[in-house]
Amino acid sequence: MNRPRPGLDRRQFLQRLAAAGLLTVPGAGLLSACATGGGGTTTSAQGEVSAQNPLGVAADAPLDVVIFNGGYGDEYARFHQELYKGRYSNANVKHSATVDIAPEMQPRFVSGNPPDVLDDSGAQKIEYATLVSENQLADLGPLLDAPSWDDPNVPVRDTLLPGVIEQGTFGDKFLILNYVYETYAIWYSKPLFDQRGWQVPTTWDELMALCAQIKAAGIAPFAYGGTNAADYVLDLNLGAAIKQGGLDVVRRIDNLEPGAWTQDTVLAATQGVEKMVRDGYFMPGSEGLKHTEAQAQWMEGQAAFYVSGSWLENEMKSFTKPGQDFGMAMAPVPVLDSSAAMPVEALRTQPAEAFMVPARAANVNGGMEYLRIMLSKEGAGRFAELTASVPGVKGATDGIEKTPALDSLSAGLDAAGSNVFNWQFRTWYSPYSQLLKTELGNLLAGRSDAAGFLAAMQAETDRLAADANVTKYSR
Amino acid sequence: MSIDTRTPVAEAPRQAGKPGAGRPTGPGGLHTAGQGLLVVWALLCVVPLLWAVLTSFKSDREIFLNPWGLPSEWHFENFVRAWTSANIGRYFINSAIVVCSAVVLVMLLGAMVSYVLARYEFRGRNLIYYTLIAGMTFPLFLALVPLFFVVQNLGLLDTYHGLVLVYTAYALPFTVFFLTSFFRTLPGELVEAAMLDGCSHAGAFFRIMLPLARPGIISVGILNFFGLWNQFLLPLVLMRDQERYVLSQGLAVLTANQGYRSDWSALFAGLVIAVLPVLAVYVTFQRRIQEGLGTGALK
Amino acid sequence: MRYGKYRFIASFLAVPLLLYIVFVVSPYVQAVYISMTDWRGFSAERNFIGLANYAELAGDTRFWSAMWHNALLLIVVPVVTLAIALFLATMTTLAGRRGSVGRGGVAGSRFYQIVFVFPYVVPLVIAGVLYQFFYNPQAGLLNGLLRLVGFEWLARPWLGDTTFALPAVMAVLIWAFVGFYFVVFSSAMKSLPSDVFEAAVLDGAGRVRTFRHITLPMLRDSVQTSYIYLGIMMLDCFTLLQVMLPDGGPDRSTEVVAQYLYRMAFTEGRFGYASAIGVALCLLTLVLAVVVLRMDRRARVEF
Repeated sequence: MNRPRPGLDRRQFLQRLAAAGLLTVPGAGLLSACATGGGGTTTSAQGEVSAQNPLGVAADAPLDVVIFNGGYGDEYARFHQELYKGRYSNANVKHSATVDIAPEMQPRFVSGNPPDVLDDSGAQKIEYATLVSENQLADLGPLLDAPSWDDPNVPVRDTLLPGVIEQGTFGDKFLILNYVYETYAIWYSKPLFDQRGWQVPTTWDELMALCAQIKAAGIAPFAYGGTNAADYVLDLNLGAAIKQGGLDVVRRIDNLEPGAWTQDTVLAATQGVEKMVRDGYFMPGSEGLKHTEAQAQWMEGQAAFYVSGSWLENEMKSFTKPGQDFGMAMAPVPVLDSSAAMPVEALRTQPAEAFMVPARAANVNGGMEYLRIMLSKEGAGRFAELTASVPGVKGATDGIEKTPALDSLSAGLDAAGSNVFNWQFRTWYSPYSQLLKTELGNLLAGRSDAAGFLAAMQAETDRLAADANVTKYSR
Repeated sequence: MSIDTRTPVAEAPRQAGKPGAGRPTGPGGLHTAGQGLLVVWALLCVVPLLWAVLTSFKSDREIFLNPWGLPSEWHFENFVRAWTSANIGRYFINSAIVVCSAVVLVMLLGAMVSYVLARYEFRGRNLIYYTLIAGMTFPLFLALVPLFFVVQNLGLLDTYHGLVLVYTAYALPFTVFFLTSFFRTLPGELVEAAMLDGCSHAGAFFRIMLPLARPGIISVGILNFFGLWNQFLLPLVLMRDQERYVLSQGLAVLTANQGYRSDWSALFAGLVIAVLPVLAVYVTFQRRIQEGLGTGALK
Repeated sequence: MRYGKYRFIASFLAVPLLLYIVFVVSPYVQAVYISMTDWRGFSAERNFIGLANYAELAGDTRFWSAMWHNALLLIVVPVVTLAIALFLATMTTLAGRRGSVGRGGVAGSRFYQIVFVFPYVVPLVIAGVLYQFFYNPQAGLLNGLLRLVGFEWLARPWLGDTTFALPAVMAVLIWAFVGFYFVVFSSAMKSLPSDVFEAAVLDGAGRVRTFRHITLPMLRDSVQTSYIYLGIMMLDCFTLLQVMLPDGGPDRSTEVVAQYLYRMAFTEGRFGYASAIGVALCLLTLVLAVVVLRMDRRARVEF
């Protein structure tokens, strides 16, 4: 008979089979039998705390960093790792970049052997709510209180842009550092608008008038990617509703309150979108497109506006016509009318690209130190340079050469000042994501109306509120 | 198409498609229609692949603007990008090592199991058969975590031979499923005759049935090869050493880049680099197989 | 002799089955156990909750609507795929030049034999991206062709249409799988004894009659096996749909069970429930397999 495995004697093989066999008995300690570190307390590497080393990093402890290799690539992370090695030259830094975070990381979490730094992002990310409710994430409070990398008198907390701490806080703990400061807006080509003499609208009436004008010119006012990203358009109606009614509107939605989705401003703004659909202001065929396809057609001038986050320019880098400036620029979502509670310049800023230090990592302190390095002037500046994006650190984009969209974004953020808002219901309650894509897709394709969309959203809200198995958060 | 170079034995080559004299049914019209359908399907098979090859030379913008035309400029740098970002050179070799070993092993083991299941009556046969079928029906990603621990406890994580064994085990149901039905179509008289001549059970299998089953074994082997070549979830969890990544793990990076950075051109370039060599081997191999089949088939 | 027979059977089955039990059966048995827990998938904590997940599953409308989409795939795709594959295999293996029915196919057969396998070689992920371009409402080849031949009214956003999204995906699946079954059927046809065909030719049987009365009955096992296997594939369909319509398609009209299961496991952190879905899917598939196998009363060996 052919032997199954060369290089392993039979006894050894049988022993291992027996070890595996233990696992095959149903119920007999499926996971508790799992090799190392099952449920016990972890002993993470500790070093001497000093002014020079506020987080108590063990200088020679290895550091295991897993980066999501998506829109921002992983080159910036290699730079951060160089900085880490610069200070801890004896540390062995392991870099891996992957795209399928959840399937690949799952066994490592279960066996108590997670990486020290994990960038949990992308379509295959592990839902944050799951990791949080399983107590898998280290409290990053010590990082916030530690002195910043560049100035010992300024704690890390004070170097962050507004919203970064809020976005990463679950209950009373800061668990996730969302590194990229993403801003949501309506995007357009400034040269195109200048050439046609179109004015960026500030109120819904102006928006409708401009849409009529654009449509008459033979261009679709808006494009969207219906097969996977109809939910981008949510910024149009929910954004306008929040600006109109103030932060209380979004607070009620985040808190799963009864009637949250039937508040007056939410209804009015959603009916506005419904009217846009009926008037044909969304590019025909959008419902059959992926977001990248829709964006490509928008960049070819087949549509005037596109609703998205600030990653858009980076994502479409390779689509710029050679020798021509698309001049990507942002406009804030218009307000419903002049009685709005927030100024029209208000923006939704929502930090993203979730960096975390798993609670049972072998080198928790090293992981936090790595995050501290990411937030340093040098680390954040290099990130901004490499990705043309804004990291969640004050002043990180000062002095770097700005692309058109980044330039417009910086101006927009300055104009917004403290008038920024965000929503948390999608982060806290994962079922919303797909529901929004489906229901907003129905609304935009004309398969349902504003009332139908809002009823579906409210029904899910009521279901979640009543489900005792769902961990609740509030703000 | 003049690929067909074989001359029918003891048969004067005649024009195909001409109305057949002396044929009661199957008129020429039917024949021509059939031929036409073959051509249509062949186009459906070739055109997308050709399109992918052409697309791999375009810029991302051109893929959208002019998806069905020739590239205005040949962007060879797409291939460089695909090669480096998916580390194709290294991963290709890893894939070849793992997949080839697994296919050889699974075909041998699979043929043995199938033969026994198809030709012998014994208690527990149905149980084994249905357990094997059940193995094809359960979603793989639910088994990943338990499998990870099994492989870890055997000390096989991040090893070539560990992945080979896992591939073999997961390809076994499919292999047995098809080969069993194949062995059942083969005539049993030859084996009985051989056994009467004093051949052992195993001898009858290796000397008579295995050669007879060659067409089935080769085709199931080819299907296994391509199936395992594209296997993605198993190595993702079991092969975490980036030096030993297999090709599908590299292609996943390109797929993601397409999704997050709109880099379609590199994806198609990656496809061309990854698939064309395999296809080339298959095409050359196919001729051999055909010739082999000619002599190995039943007389 | 009997002793020899059982020793032979055991010796042939031991190693493969050992591998199978260790690497396939044991993880799945654990998954069955997980289906009776509330495991969230990312820690070692879980509680045994008996059959609660299955009770919930029975009343889960999203599961059943996804199941319905799988059922549609299961009915349409195998029939069309196997019909095309049988036709292609007959033409290139048996249809023969006149006078040599049974050996060799029509002219160009060896070219076809190579080319027909191409789609199977393309990873489904890439096939998905490729067909996205094909179905693109504006720039896509399909609408372009329809407009070209004057069927403008047929052009539509295929993947965004609740009626046509699922058939559009079915077409891709058929395209991708025909090559596989073409190989299976061709090799089965090649191993058929040629004297039967010679006799048929002498009897003056035409191509169609030969196929219906000789080829098809002799290929029964292969066709049946292929049908079951393709049926099993259709109960999965995860990869392609995840590329083409990752969020369930327009109005969730293309969501299949495997996608729902994946979402439950990884997005909603309900691994226990996802495992219950997996077990249910597995049982349904087995029922299907048994039904198809039993339906064939003339099977030589009774399974």
